[in-house]
Amino acid sequence: MRSKKTLFSIGVFLLLSAMSLIGSEAATPSPAKEIPISAEMKEKFPIKAHHAKLSLKCTDCHENQGDNPENFKLIGDEGCLSCHKSKVYLAERLKFMDTLHVNPHNSIHDGPKLYCDECHFEHQKSDNMCLSCHSNDVKLWMRETP
Amino acid sequence: MMKKILLFIKSKLFLFGAAGVFIGLLFSLAMYEGLHRTSDDKFCIVCHEMAPMVAAYHNDVHGGAGKTGIKVTCVTCHLPHDNVLAYIATKARNGVVEGAIHFFGNPDAIDWHANRANKEHFVEDEGCIGCHTNYKTNTNISAKGLKMHAHYESLKNTDKKIGCASCHAEVGHHGLKSMLNYYKPEYPYYNGKLDKQKEEVEKKLSETLK
Amino acid sequence: MSKEMMSRRDALKLGVLGAGAAMLSASQAMAAAPTEKDVKFDEEYDVIVVGSGFAGLAAASKAAERGLKVLILEKMGRVGGNSVINGGAFAVPNNRDQKQFGIEDSAELFIKDALKAGLGINHVEMLEVIGKRAQETYDFAVKCGATFQAGKKPTWFGGHSVARTIVTSNMSGSAIIQPMAAFVEKLPGCKLMTRTKFDDFVMSADGTSVVGVTARTNYRFDNKLLSDDVENKSGEKKVYRAKKGVILASGGFSMDKVYRQLQDPRIIPTQDATNHEGATAGAMLKAFQIGALPVHIDWIQQGPWASPDERGFGVAPLLTQQGLFVKGVAVDVRNGKRFMNEMADRKTRADAEYVILHQDPKAFPVAIGTYNTFDEQVYAAVEKGLASGVMKKFDTLDALAANYKIPADALKETIKKYNEDAKNGVEDQFKKQSLKDVKGKEAIEMKGPFYGIRLMPKPHHTMGGLKINVKAQVISANTNKPIPGLYAAGEVTGGTHGASRLGSCAIADCLVFGMVAGENI
Ligand SMILES: Cc1cc2nc3c(=O)[nH]c(=O)nc-3n(C[C@H](O)[C@H](O)[C@H](O)COP(=O)(O)OP(=O)(O)OC[C@H]3O[C@@H](n4cnc5c(N)ncnc54)[C@H](O)[C@@H]3O)c2cc1C
Repeated sequence: MRSKKTLFSIGVFLLLSAMSLIGSEAATPSPAKEIPISAEMKEKFPIKAHHAKLSLKCTDCHENQGDNPENFKLIGDEGCLSCHKSKVYLAERLKFMDTLHVNPHNSIHDGPKLYCDECHFEHQKSDNMCLSCHSNDVKLWMRETP
Repeated sequence: MMKKILLFIKSKLFLFGAAGVFIGLLFSLAMYEGLHRTSDDKFCIVCHEMAPMVAAYHNDVHGGAGKTGIKVTCVTCHLPHDNVLAYIATKARNGVVEGAIHFFGNPDAIDWHANRANKEHFVEDEGCIGCHTNYKTNTNISAKGLKMHAHYESLKNTDKKIGCASCHAEVGHHGLKSMLNYYKPEYPYYNGKLDKQKEEVEKKLSETLK
Repeated sequence: MSKEMMSRRDALKLGVLGAGAAMLSASQAMAAAPTEKDVKFDEEYDVIVVGSGFAGLAAASKAAERGLKVLILEKMGRVGGNSVINGGAFAVPNNRDQKQFGIEDSAELFIKDALKAGLGINHVEMLEVIGKRAQETYDFAVKCGATFQAGKKPTWFGGHSVARTIVTSNMSGSAIIQPMAAFVEKLPGCKLMTRTKFDDFVMSADGTSVVGVTARTNYRFDNKLLSDDVENKSGEKKVYRAKKGVILASGGFSMDKVYRQLQDPRIIPTQDATNHEGATAGAMLKAFQIGALPVHIDWIQQGPWASPDERGFGVAPLLTQQGLFVKGVAVDVRNGKRFMNEMADRKTRADAEYVILHQDPKAFPVAIGTYNTFDEQVYAAVEKGLASGVMKKFDTLDALAANYKIPADALKETIKKYNEDAKNGVEDQFKKQSLKDVKGKEAIEMKGPFYGIRLMPKPHHTMGGLKINVKAQVISANTNKPIPGLYAAGEVTGGTHGASRLGSCAIADCLVFGMVAGENI
């Protein structure tokens, strides 16, 4: 009787371990595959220096959008935040700016709620939204929008 | 005579062996203690200009702010671990250089903010991986995280190599950017306006380091 | 360089463009609002609110509080339109803080002030509702989470005969907008969708009442287009049913480069304004198409307290309205003389500035004062003004005069006379009402330092819009009766403020009538 129980538990344990193995196996992805990209495309869609430094590939951001760059779509907040965690987290990182109420990720007007691409553009010059009303102060408060 | 001694030793082999082991242990203990006591924030801060870094470290899970209270020492991430000699050599060199800057140089001239652009150079990835051994498979990491870790792996040993800190920007030092700004504002507009924050940090720091 | 010349050229361009667009889309030009027979509804709500500013959120909060299922559509990425960038000043006639500080006020006095600024063409029945319900509305906003600097002496705004304005905790409308948006979103069945543009009304089968809207989700406003409303084709089409009705709270059109110039050809497309980019006329024009009555459309209020030294609203309006204008002076740089009552209504002041600027477009008048002229509520902004260079600080009047190229002796004479009159309680040449407060004292303290801000009017508030009644129902030109199922509130409505709105009365108007719409729908 007792041995049966032991055997059963061992069985369950082994099964679980095997399952966990399979689970972790499935979760181990290979790096995104490099898709061929013409020099012309590269020039048309340059990426920001801080992303280039990490050697990011198109499909690291444009996930599940096929491998034809012509068909790539905006990745939205969800895309950005898959690496950059959350808007609250990003606001927290600039906490010192809150002291003077100039944290762009936690502004007096909007809190940590703006769309990323209200200001940040990956393939063209970013445009700080604060400038539309605070044309003179923004350069005192923060650097150019990355 | 020689023979006698040898015989004596032989007869007391066990004792001698034990003594040898004991002395050896004592040595390594001293060494260990020495290295250990010279590895944490309390020691490092004596010479290193790093008050804001330490303050931010104390706010981080790696600095004891987590639920478990586990603390990782400075050297775990900031010194190479591939072999003991390199470890000690780097440690000694750092000690001399930083001590010299601290006592004879001009620590104010260090541009912390600019240095952060090379943050990966200040972190030894083996240190991170020593604990986070399963960073490539841990199912608690998001799918994107695992994908990026695979990306990291694929760049290893290439000229495009990146480090853990290339992405994990404030790892080990929660709120580092703000902390650095309390001490040395990045933009002149903030000069003198963050002093209250700095004072609070200093107060807390002197209490924790007591 | 004459502004008129430029404006004519631009008007010409506009005409050509308009003709081209019309030829391209003749069919579109004829389009009428669809009826429920023409569409398939994707979702169903009790109430649909267009716009997420004061008016929209007050309406939505009230309706949602009553248990109705509310959908708010906002075309921009950010919530709150002009309301969220606004200065947070809320005129509450006869409020509790006034009583605490012994300021006597009444609804009648408020109406009198508004009528004076509005040149008597205001729709008085609307002002009565505001006068009666402002304090109650304030309390409702507080209940929804809005925060104010209550318990302080109210601020005195131009054109008001007493100080009656309460300022939000952060000197921005966001202290009302953010909590109110959260208030609505928390209530069951309610939703706020940004980057979702209202395109048109959906009418009942007989075409008489409003039963829903067509909209586009994932809409991206494009500030590079001359007319976003006409040219922008982004987004995916959706149709929503509104069982009880639609509340139009789409704001004013001070940034509608085409429509505002048609009303006032002096406002050329490149003219800077204080408003957010999305302040366009499209939604209001759709209401006109289904019969809504237009009122006072061409009264576009320009802010006389704005500065040419910064874009948009900036900091100058705070530092002048709640600072330099109250006890300080504004002078013509060419002769060092005052040229207006710095505390008059906006139209009077903007017109006075335009007289100077039409003679010499570069002779921006300068507002001058000392530290004691700033209200406690704007101290935080003083430094911002200085750091950004919009406001300048001088140790002496001579230095100030030299900087702005004002004849120094004339300037000193102006200020001397001004101070003497104020001290002696003699009414000055422009009958400035706020000087009663400084009787026996120096209005501008001569020990300095002195502050200066250059002035230029900017389009700020469009007075005109749809005609609504006191229940916030939109009146039809076809029947002179309410259009069933259509309500409106806020800057998209017209008539309430007549020719010119007094400062800090927009929040009052938008919140009161937003609330009224939410009650009645
Ligand atoms: C810079 C500034 C400062 C001000 N300061 C003060 C002050 O201190 N006190 C005061 O009383 N008044 C002030 N005003 C005036 C006041 O803020 C506005 O009149 C008021 O905010 C208007 O509110 P609203 O709800 O009618 O419109 P808004 O707040 O402009 O909201 C309308 C919303 O509707 C959206 N919308 C428009 N068309 C569509 C469409 N087709 N589909 C979907 N959404 C649409 C817009 O994007 C906008 O978000 C200020 C105005 C400005 C510009």
